[in-house]
Amino acid sequence: MSEDRGEKRPRPRGKRPRRKVCDFCVSKIEYIDYKDVNRLRRSINERGKILPRRMTGNCAKHQRQLSEAIKRARAIALLPYTVD
Amino acid sequence: MNKYEVVYIIDPAVEEEARKALIAKFNDLITGNGGSVDKVEEWGKRRLAYAIDYKTEGYYVLVNFQAEAELPKELERNLQISDSVIRYQVIKQIERKVGIKPRAVRPAPVAPAAEAPAVEAPAEPAVETPAE
Repeated sequence: MSEDRGEKRPRPRGKRPRRKVCDFCVSKIEYIDYKDVNRLRRSINERGKILPRRMTGNCAKHQRQLSEAIKRARAIALLPYTVD
Repeated sequence: MNKYEVVYIIDPAVEEEARKALIAKFNDLITGNGGSVDKVEEWGKRRLAYAIDYKTEGYYVLVNFQAEAELPKELERNLQISDSVIRYQVIKQIERKVGIKPRAVRPAPVAPAAEAPAVEAPAEPAVETPAE
C-alpha cells in the first residue's frame, strides 16, 4: 500500500513529469452528474475502482464530486462495484 | 419546496400496463402530497451493471419533482413496499448558488516588461552635477 503513495523519490535528471490538469475544470463542468455514465466510466479502472487524483490530476473539488457521483451511479446499478 | 430527483428500477418482467400504472401511482403520490412533477423520463430497459436479485436487466425511470422535505421519506417508503421496484434512489438537487461570483481567472502575464521601460525613464537631471 505505502509504496504507491507517491512519496518523493529521486527521478532521473532532466525528466520532470508533466503537471496534470483537472479535466472537469478544463471542460468547465459545474456539477458532475451521476447519470452521465460515459464520463464516469473514464474515471474508474478496469476493476471498477475510482482512480486516484494522483493519476487523473483532478482538482480536489472535482474529485470530491466525482467520487460522490460514482458512488451514486453504483447504487442504482449504472456502474459496477467490482469487476472480475 | 425543494427539488428532488428519483431514479427507480422496475422489474422488467412486469407487464407494460402494470408498469404504466405503477409509474402513475408514484407520480400521483407526489402531486397528491403538495408536490409537482417536473419531468418523467423513462430510459427503458437497460442492462444492470451487476445482478440484483438474479436479474440482469431493469426498466429505469427518472422523475424530477419539487416537494416539501417530508415527501421523499413517504415516497421512499412506497418504493420500498412495492415488490416490482428492485432499486431506487432519491437525491436532493443542489441549488445553483446565485450571487457568488465565479473565481476570477488569474490574468495572463502580459509582458509587463514591455510597458515599464516604455515610459521614459525620468532623465537624470544632468544639470546638477557639481563635479568637484
